[in-house]
Amino acid sequence: MIRLDEARTKQWLRQAGLPVPTGAAAVSAEAAGATVSSFAGPAVVKAMVPTGRRGKAGAVRLADDARARAQVARELLGTQVNGFPVDAVYVEECISIKAEYYFALVLDGAAPRLLLSRQGGVEIESLSRDTPEAIVQAFVDPLEGLAPWAASELWLQAGVASSEVPMLAAISCLLYDAFCRADGLMLEINPLAIDASGQAQIVGAMMGVDPHAMFRHPDWAQSRDPLPGNPRERAVELANRRSPNGECQYIELDGDIGLLVGGGGAGLYQHDLLLSFGGAPANHCVTPPLSADNSKLKAVLTAILSNPSVRGLLVGFNFAQMARTDVRVRTLVEVLDEMEVDTSRLPIVIRLFGAGEEQSRAMVEGRANIHYMPRGTTLREAAQRIVELTAAARQPNEAAA
Amino acid sequence: MSILVNASTQVIVQGITGVQAAFDTQWCLQYGTRIVGGVTPGRGGERVHGVEVFDTVRRATARHRVDASVLYVPPAAVKDAALEALDAGIRLLVVTAEYVPQHDVVTIVAAARRAGAHLVGCNTNGLIAPGLCKLGGIGGMSPAEIYVPGRVGVVSRSGGMLAEIGLALKAGGQGVSTAVGMGGDGTTGMEMKDYLLLFERDPETDATVLFGEPGTNNEQQVAERVASGSIRKPVVALIAGQFQERYPAGMSFGHAAAMITDDTKTASAKRQMLRSAGVHVVDSLEEISPLLKRLGL
Repeated sequence: MIRLDEARTKQWLRQAGLPVPTGAAAVSAEAAGATVSSFAGPAVVKAMVPTGRRGKAGAVRLADDARARAQVARELLGTQVNGFPVDAVYVEECISIKAEYYFALVLDGAAPRLLLSRQGGVEIESLSRDTPEAIVQAFVDPLEGLAPWAASELWLQAGVASSEVPMLAAISCLLYDAFCRADGLMLEINPLAIDASGQAQIVGAMMGVDPHAMFRHPDWAQSRDPLPGNPRERAVELANRRSPNGECQYIELDGDIGLLVGGGGAGLYQHDLLLSFGGAPANHCVTPPLSADNSKLKAVLTAILSNPSVRGLLVGFNFAQMARTDVRVRTLVEVLDEMEVDTSRLPIVIRLFGAGEEQSRAMVEGRANIHYMPRGTTLREAAQRIVELTAAARQPNEAAA
Repeated sequence: MSILVNASTQVIVQGITGVQAAFDTQWCLQYGTRIVGGVTPGRGGERVHGVEVFDTVRRATARHRVDASVLYVPPAAVKDAALEALDAGIRLLVVTAEYVPQHDVVTIVAAARRAGAHLVGCNTNGLIAPGLCKLGGIGGMSPAEIYVPGRVGVVSRSGGMLAEIGLALKAGGQGVSTAVGMGGDGTTGMEMKDYLLLFERDPETDATVLFGEPGTNNEQQVAERVASGSIRKPVVALIAGQFQERYPAGMSFGHAAAMITDDTKTASAKRQMLRSAGVHVVDSLEEISPLLKRLGL
């Protein structure tokens, strides 16, 4: 999920016709101060981080004139709020709030789920723990959308006054449409505030959108999570972002058996098998099935072999039905040579059958300690073999240490 | 016999002019699948491996009886292509694309259910009724080497593991009535229980094997049907991904669906749930065939 920041979320909702208070993002104290030229008067300055409980963390503060806005921005910028670095603040006109409601949409199953409550302003997690009956939940039929009468019924169930229902229903329908058009996976409006004049205002807004729908939202494509801190994980994620051909993933774990798998079911199965034989994977990974472009496969292999903990490598794939085996093995050989890996000290078990297998076997023939398993070897037998070989390879290293 | 397809199933391929589609079409034709047309807007009149290309699905259905469509269109085009096939009255859709936007997935899944159509996928490598018909890339260039005709129905989250199960059955002297890759996404058209209910009604299927992963309530639904008696044929289940329980919830390993969101979605919880419902849960592929034999199959 790509989390949009508060400015982007609110911009989207404003354009969808929703009542969003005037506000602007600022990345410097000066810019925060300069916001008075577009809206003067009472304002709040908030750390722009994708997390709740900002108020509790002291990251939402009142500031009226230019100097106060700049001062608060100066204090917040560069700090961390709930673990997120504050690279920008959001300056917004201050709304006097009479009541706080809650509205959310989640798409995590076969239909969008709507959650609403009359008790907004607190975290939904604590609300669902303490007073679950205060949350009204419903699924929306994706073919029908959210009808105003259905939304009215839900707000009535939530216990709001009849006089507020038409306004809340209209806003709910607008939010639903904005959520769908944004390819939203999560939209949380908390609080959905009622101001002193009785009008609804979108005061707190967070939205997460579908990373696989960025072809419809090119402006958001760069709003991705920060890169991982581990240099090998970072390199793989960069390779992943560089080209659109399939996806790769690399997650480093605490074992010493490198695991090169496709990433679907067989990856899970082999990981379980390694553990069952007393081995411990040094990573989990996903490599794309396409063989036209091997840059992602190469990035994952390079990461695995650069991990200083790795003492063995399992190249374990299902009986290849579509991809050619020789593309994978050629990439393996390339990376081994480029990195000058001494395989006499790093056992490699290959369990890879299918198209191109003869060429694949020829490519590794004569290389020390590369065990290309005979055709028909099961995933289980290959897993057992790499656990044994890695245990044997570990001994001299540990003796030396 | 088989579920969903048989020897007379007539098929179109949407996006047939693409590389993967053309490749798979060739091997499907060789296998004997009756591919009666392809669809690529703007390419009407061309031929791919002898198959006529139409501009729209309706043009193909006007010429041929079409029972099924295999969609090779890219993720961004899946929604329109699937709705077009449903609109033309096709009642079996196989959607191969991975990474289809969620909003598009829920739209086509709902549209298929409303139309009373079977939607396999998204993110599937297809299905095969050995000796009769194969849709999609399943089995690649050597389907007969992996899947031999027999009386075991197979449904799997993973196309690769489907092949491993096919090979394990073959090694044990058994065969497959129909093998389906249901797709690895969180939301799929047909769910695991839907396939098992079809196998239940298929007189040529004696038992089923399923391969599951952490995440989603697919296996829970199966357990409920087995416990309630609406699935009575023996079910053997292999659930991978127990290792994930060593790591924090919310971490995704591989398939989009294989993410644990709560304690009922772990591999261990699923195994336990299935076992108490009366499903035969195994830890490895090697156990499947001997187990089926012990059950007299």
